[in-house]
Amino acid sequence: MEPTWILLTIGIALIFAKIGDSIIERFELPGVLGELLMGMMLGNLVYFGVVSSQYLPITVNTSEVIDFLAKLGIIFLLFLGALDTDISMLKRTGVTATISTVLGVFVPLILGWFALMEMGYPSREAFAGGVLLTATSIGLTVRVMMDLGVLRSEVGAASLSASVMDDFLGIALVIFAVGSGSLTGLGIKIAVFFLITGVIGWFAVDYYVKFAERLHVEKGILGLVLGMMFLFAALAENWFAAAIEGSFMAGLILAKLPEGKKLMEDVRAIGYGFLIPIFFVHTGAMLNLKVFESYSALTLAAVLTVIAVVGKIAGRGFGAWITAWGRGRAFLFNPRNFKMSLQMGIGSIPRTEVALVDLMVAIHGRAIPPADAPKFIAATLIFITVSVLVTPPMLKWAFKEDIEKRVESRASSKVERIQETKQKIKELKS
Amino acid sequence: MENVEKALQHFHALKLKQIMPATSSIPVVEADSAVINVLKILRTRHHVWVVKNRKNMELCGVIRYLDTMDILLPPEVHKFRLGMTSAVMKSLLGGAQKAEEIMEKNVLTIEEDATVLEALTKMKRYKTQVLAIVKGDTLVSEISLRILINELLRLLRVGGTSWSQHGSSSQSELH
Repeated sequence: MEPTWILLTIGIALIFAKIGDSIIERFELPGVLGELLMGMMLGNLVYFGVVSSQYLPITVNTSEVIDFLAKLGIIFLLFLGALDTDISMLKRTGVTATISTVLGVFVPLILGWFALMEMGYPSREAFAGGVLLTATSIGLTVRVMMDLGVLRSEVGAASLSASVMDDFLGIALVIFAVGSGSLTGLGIKIAVFFLITGVIGWFAVDYYVKFAERLHVEKGILGLVLGMMFLFAALAENWFAAAIEGSFMAGLILAKLPEGKKLMEDVRAIGYGFLIPIFFVHTGAMLNLKVFESYSALTLAAVLTVIAVVGKIAGRGFGAWITAWGRGRAFLFNPRNFKMSLQMGIGSIPRTEVALVDLMVAIHGRAIPPADAPKFIAATLIFITVSVLVTPPMLKWAFKEDIEKRVESRASSKVERIQETKQKIKELKS
Repeated sequence: MENVEKALQHFHALKLKQIMPATSSIPVVEADSAVINVLKILRTRHHVWVVKNRKNMELCGVIRYLDTMDILLPPEVHKFRLGMTSAVMKSLLGGAQKAEEIMEKNVLTIEEDATVLEALTKMKRYKTQVLAIVKGDTLVSEISLRILINELLRLLRVGGTSWSQHGSSSQSELH
């Protein structure tokens, strides 16, 4: 592959990604959809023979360089996601958020797993399909809840604190899809991995950053922090074929330090300025529209989409309902409990980045074999799009009563204030 | 020139505890203070330390002048993407009401026994112009570029008698 065409492709991918992001954001939808759409357009120029893959090596397996840059994009995405995480929020996660998150992850996972096995997929592939449905993307929910003025409500706060654990579970579960060997062996590996990266890293990272500070070289701390991230990623890639686990853990342990947070701007510049758009465009370019000629691809997309929506509402909603929001048994069958739990469930429908990351890990780790990859890519892009489109109207419907009550109470307090002022004027006049 | 060199050498070796302002003169709010009170302080100061309560002065975070952009902007201006959501939560229109909801939790700190040179190096390294001086988790003072400039000018004996006031906390430093 000539370097000229690789450089040209990187340039085109970055420009198109940012334009696509901007267009889609205008419709108040996650910009990542725009980047995926642009990738889909570029990829299909190749699939439909308009441009030769030699001149636009954006599709998978046409250029090792682009494939690897996209992989780096995933690593940076997860590193940034973890670095932006508020660890203290995880500690504060209440019973309702914890139980609803766990059920919200495992119900779609199990439903997806069994549904795909019923459709004839092998167990490992079906499990990987289930994992794709696990992680919520809280960003869209936050935006809609903010617009509705309910983000600081009990449901809003629980949804926010649940999001950290939700991401963590969604990312961790993919290990079981791509990891090889016996369950016991894998379990030991996972324990040792989290012991090394989590426990030892947690205590040693302060000394590591102090050591980096003492080097007194240009961007020395950034270099050493990225070095640590890649070491963790290498370990995770070698043990589980999932480098993201390493970068996520590196981000999480650095997130506790102010020095780590201060590096976010630099990491964001590399990530969102270069590698992450390449990942999204590359992923979009993997979708060959010809796949929709196949009936099985459409069936898979329909099944995963239904489970993605229903599984989350049922799992997270039921999880919240059985805790009765910490108000005791008397509240269990209260209509308010049903309503709040439904709101919690609907808020967890959107999926974007982590689903794509899990998809790529599953494909690269061969949990989803190359022959089925196009179908899963199509299905994932469809359930992502549907999930982000249905969430805003559903949330508005679920919070309708709360919003009306808020408007009414505001109006009545305004009337009260006017009456008080009138009374004061009367008193002054008399 | 020789004077400047001498002054700078002495300046770099100074301990922060020799020049830091009194705790009572630094801008502090409690974690549950209203955002409006924070904004009132930020009209004249360029950062506010957030403590759990004024009795124990346990440091929780900092709100800097530049953070007001996130506070005042509508939430939809921010991108809702993985790794970019923390700034969104600070928006007043998004429902932020208390200081703890808009503060930056991870605060760069330094100890009072550190030297001016160490403080300057840390400021340069992390592109910040103010550091919290702490004893364990307790906020005892702050060190800012403004305080350091004042101290250097005092050593150089320029600027008149007003420069002899140690540790006058900044009202106009840039962040």
